[in-house]
Amino acid sequence: MYSIVVENLIKKYNHFVAVDNISFKVKRGEIFGFLGANGAGKTTTIKMLCGLLQPTSGNATVAGYDLKKDYKSIKKNIGYMSQRFSLYEDLTLYENMQLFGTVYGIPRKILKERIYESLDSLQMTEKANSLVYSIPLGWKQKLAFATAMLHHPQIVFLDEPTSGVDPIVRREFWNMLYETANKGVTIFVTTHYMDEAEYCEKISMMSDGQLKLIGTPSELKSKMNVDSIAELFQKIVNR
Amino acid sequence: MRTILMLVKKEFLQVFRNSLLWKILLIAPLAEFILFPFTADYEIKKLNIAFIDYDHSTTTREIQNEFVASGYFVSYGNINSQKEARSLMQRDVIDFIVEFPCDFERKIITNEYTQIAVTANAINSVKAGIGTNYVQTVLFDYISSLAESFGVESQLTNITITNIYWFNEQMNYKNLIVPGILVILVTLIGAYVTALNLVREKELGTIEQINVTPIKKWQFLLGKMIPFWILGMGEFIIGLGIMYLVFGITIQGSFWLLLFATSIYLFVMLGLGFFISSVSENQLQAMFVVFFLFIVFVLLSGLFTPIEGMPSWAQYVNYLNPMSFFMDIIKLVILKASNIHDIKIQLLVLTGMAIVINTAALLSYREKVK
Repeated sequence: MYSIVVENLIKKYNHFVAVDNISFKVKRGEIFGFLGANGAGKTTTIKMLCGLLQPTSGNATVAGYDLKKDYKSIKKNIGYMSQRFSLYEDLTLYENMQLFGTVYGIPRKILKERIYESLDSLQMTEKANSLVYSIPLGWKQKLAFATAMLHHPQIVFLDEPTSGVDPIVRREFWNMLYETANKGVTIFVTTHYMDEAEYCEKISMMSDGQLKLIGTPSELKSKMNVDSIAELFQKIVNR
Repeated sequence: MRTILMLVKKEFLQVFRNSLLWKILLIAPLAEFILFPFTADYEIKKLNIAFIDYDHSTTTREIQNEFVASGYFVSYGNINSQKEARSLMQRDVIDFIVEFPCDFERKIITNEYTQIAVTANAINSVKAGIGTNYVQTVLFDYISSLAESFGVESQLTNITITNIYWFNEQMNYKNLIVPGILVILVTLIGAYVTALNLVREKELGTIEQINVTPIKKWQFLLGKMIPFWILGMGEFIIGLGIMYLVFGITIQGSFWLLLFATSIYLFVMLGLGFFISSVSENQLQAMFVVFFLFIVFVLLSGLFTPIEGMPSWAQYVNYLNPMSFFMDIIKLVILKASNIHDIKIQLLVLTGMAIVINTAALLSYREKVK
């Protein structure tokens, strides 16, 4: 059972090809690491899959819905965390979660319970009424993830969720991702940290808009005859 | 519905937490109201006048005194030649020259034909026009009283010019300017604040988080419009209060009709603000576009210069200017007690504009980037 099926997806800006005919599949409940250098086309791909960007050609099925015909249904079933922190800094933690939860149509009472539950597990209950502006970046990222998960999406897209975050929070963040994946949620994550890539069940590597490799970390390492994903990355990007 | 209410709540929270915006919304109307009407006063006092007197008679001296006594003129005194007068005017020392010919007094008494030459510095045409009127008034007044005292029926006394100014009896320019400022105020809140608001979300990236949700475009736009509509109406009502308390101008027509018209006009401006912000990339762009349109709207609106005096092409352009229709309504209802039938055309036009511009805003707003 696949959560995401991408077929010949292309995105061109005039003559520049940002995403060059990529195809891949992501299994349900998988942590799928989407790697690549800056400008390789990762964010462009994520934005197309989330319905934020119009593909030039090709198609995809996300959460069982056709991207071209039914992107409105896709939106109800995905969570998204953009590269740039994009919750409202001038609202409190609670207000942000309340806003997004309401927009997804979660009934009032259930929403309240869910918000406190997730703030509890983030150990941020005390900060519920503080402005988001006032909390550290690591907390913001965890909050953004929890907010993206409020409506219990089938798939969550995370665009460099841990960039600029300290190693301890990164570890905690990945623990959250494992827990979430164990509940059957598909996690589609991009990262620049190669140690994080080792935690993924499956990884793919993009370079110049093309998908160069796809497989489990151990498969790829033995195939390319390297010891770590970091080495693998060097090989692919420099090629 | 819950979604829209939540969005409205969010917007209000943000406005009230943004201390700068909040202060601007509060201080701008006060400052404009208090400064504008005094600076945009058309009444001209202290016009500098010089006399070339070839007659040197009692009459000409009396006329000179009359000018000073009128309160509108400051006398530069007598000068000797046209040449001197010209150089004074070039240096902007004097605004008016009044020239009395020889035998002026004798000809007046014997009821002969005589002339007085009045020269005005017309660099500022408004000043020249209004000043010339004052000069004529002073001369007419003097000559007719002179004729009366001689028991002579002068030709001038046969014609009496009486001006009755309807709806603004004292020709008080504040009556025109203050309601005009109300219009400017509503426009600024409607177009400026909203245009900047949506673009700001683009700049911060928060709009992306909204765009991945199943929220519908119209919900999002309504969620943005309702709060600014409420703020705009609030400002308008505060403005009406200041208008009454500071300037003593009362609304001659219906208060509710005024609010109704304003609410429609606000929708036009809100729609315009959103249209601009959805086609702009950043706050700077949006600001330039709004600023440009705002200046055009104000200049064409008839607040500073009468629309009838504009060239016909400008008058045609004015059919596209929502501010000019709203300016009409405001003046008609506040000063003239017009009722809904008198302003129905303006109301219909504004309604049409609101529909068109909001549709355009809705269509141009993209959740999905090409």
